[in-house]
Amino acid sequence: MVNDESGKHLIIHTYEPDNVLARGLWRVFPAIFLEVASNRWLTFQLFRRDFLALYKQSLFGFLWALVIPLVSVGTFVVLNRSGVFRIAGLSVPYPVFAVLGVAHWQLFSTGLMGAANSLVRAGPMIMKINFSRKSLVIAAFGQSLVAFAVQWLLALVLCAVYGVTPSMWILLLPLLLLPLAWTTLGLGFILSILNGIMRDVGNTLGVLLTFFMFLTPVLYPRPAGGLLGRITAFNPIYYMVSVPRDLALTGHTSEWAGFGVSAAVGVVIFMVCIYGFHLAETRVTERV
Amino acid sequence: MDTLVRVEKVSKKFCRGLKRSMWYGLRDIARNAVGLRSVSTDLRKDEFWGLRNIDFELKRGEVLGVIGPNGSGKSTLLKMLNGIYWPDAGWIAVGGRVGALIEVGAGFHPMLSGRENIYVNGAILGMSKEEIDEKFDEIVAFADIGDFLDTPVKKYSSGMFVRLGFAVAAHCSPDVLLIDEILAVGDMEFRRRCYNRIDELKRKCTVILVSHNMFQIGRICDRVLFVHRGRERFSGPVAEGIMAYYDVVHEESMELSEPSRSEGPVRLERVSHQLVKNRLEMAFDMVTEPEAAGEPYGLSVTFMDASDHLFAQANSLFRNKTFLGPGRIRCTLPVLNFSHGMYRINLMVYDAGHSRLHSMYRNLFSFQVTRHHVAGASIHFDDAQWEMEMKKYREGG
Repeated sequence: MVNDESGKHLIIHTYEPDNVLARGLWRVFPAIFLEVASNRWLTFQLFRRDFLALYKQSLFGFLWALVIPLVSVGTFVVLNRSGVFRIAGLSVPYPVFAVLGVAHWQLFSTGLMGAANSLVRAGPMIMKINFSRKSLVIAAFGQSLVAFAVQWLLALVLCAVYGVTPSMWILLLPLLLLPLAWTTLGLGFILSILNGIMRDVGNTLGVLLTFFMFLTPVLYPRPAGGLLGRITAFNPIYYMVSVPRDLALTGHTSEWAGFGVSAAVGVVIFMVCIYGFHLAETRVTERV
Repeated sequence: MDTLVRVEKVSKKFCRGLKRSMWYGLRDIARNAVGLRSVSTDLRKDEFWGLRNIDFELKRGEVLGVIGPNGSGKSTLLKMLNGIYWPDAGWIAVGGRVGALIEVGAGFHPMLSGRENIYVNGAILGMSKEEIDEKFDEIVAFADIGDFLDTPVKKYSSGMFVRLGFAVAAHCSPDVLLIDEILAVGDMEFRRRCYNRIDELKRKCTVILVSHNMFQIGRICDRVLFVHRGRERFSGPVAEGIMAYYDVVHEESMELSEPSRSEGPVRLERVSHQLVKNRLEMAFDMVTEPEAAGEPYGLSVTFMDASDHLFAQANSLFRNKTFLGPGRIRCTLPVLNFSHGMYRINLMVYDAGHSRLHSMYRNLFSFQVTRHHVAGASIHFDDAQWEMEMKKYREGG
């Protein structure tokens, strides 16, 4: 037993080959939980650093988060009005519907991009100092929550403009967002590792996400049939976006089953990905 | 006294090819993912031992210097102690908090102020909010950044940046402190404060210092570990370790430091030297081109020590001694004060005004001085006079 000067017991770290297995495979999840929990303050500091840096360096600050939804929603409004692209059968005004859809989608896409680039962006620091790399990924994901909040405010303003009264479900919004959050974070963890190995991952992710966005009914209602309708039925992100949106705007949804299944799929994705990250982080760090 | 660091038969292997290294990494991760151990003790194709069978133990208050040429595995050892790499064989135990003076200013964001960056950097180094709050004033005072505390660090001079980074790292009260060649930065006053701070810290913790600067090693360490090509060559008292290091490094640097020359109208044709009883006798056979036949010239001999520092010279022009035309110039020097080690000689040929360099010869030759003791400095005054006058105390005062 080792004590410090005041006689307090010191934590002893041991390192050996396959260190992650040293305490047995069944202890991996508790170890992950403990690491994330005990590094909350570090995570917050990293989040705060990026947040402050981003908004100190730009004139409009966090209002930039509004640019993407306004532009993409504006495009769809124009297309809709000119009859190129007909959107019908909505019980709420289209802009409110679309802005909320984009907000949720952005939480997924920018969260994923940020997390995927977090390790690479940290640079040589992660090879020289031992600190929780999970904090880097979580902090990067945290940035997209800020943008999400700003976009929600825009949606509320639009609600007021169009005379839509949101349902009481919006109070449960944080809860309803959880499936989307843990799916994004899980995928972000594994992508950050893959991006460390091959930078192609970060480069192609943006293109893939754009493609995936048009495939996911966030800016238009779910198609009743056809190929897209069938794909949508198996798209967990669709349920994670549309159920919180429907509940917030109308107070009911017909897709509880899909939402439940997606949430479960999300949990599995999260568990598998964070497990992979935990096993891979050291070996990848020494190879980049 | 409690043992804070224990390193037992630790080895680490690396892979030469990047693609193959990734492939091995993926296989090892996959094996771990299903609970199997990676086959870490065998060498696969293209793998080699970066560090092999390293053993040592450190108690609180001890300072270990790790020395060795570049690429011998010193930084790898520090990374394993820090938990950044896992060993491939052996076992490491480290007690308490590990502090690292390795990457100063890690995580500093150029847009954020010094104040904000202290918190970020402190958090990365494992300090809690309360701890940073408590030490904040001390850190700022040590960094000596004055009114710049609330200025974005991108406006800092590089010295201020490093000072602030060091200040945070030096205040994280570690139990084990790892230092990698950090004290080369900053001005003299700051370096002095760094040394003082390390002296303060080393009483409370154990320090492992990696450095190429033997003066630093001699100044701070109690023991050295000399690693060469991944293996321990020596482990023990500082002086012997430095001596062993010099012997190996100089053998190698001799191979590396090929003689080079650039020649003009007055040049060296042949050189001979011999070491006779602490006297270095040199003879330079000079030739002159017709264009410089009537011009007097002077010679300057410079001595490079182990760390490639120019530490001594003999310049004939400083003695108002010039030469004219071809011939043999003899020069005899006392080298009795030189410490143990290998020394390399350069020769420069100047015109009499000391303004034009005719010819220059780098690594003209080298010679070995063998001693029983190793001094931290290149010169040791063997003939220094030591006397003591006994102070008379009045008995029973």
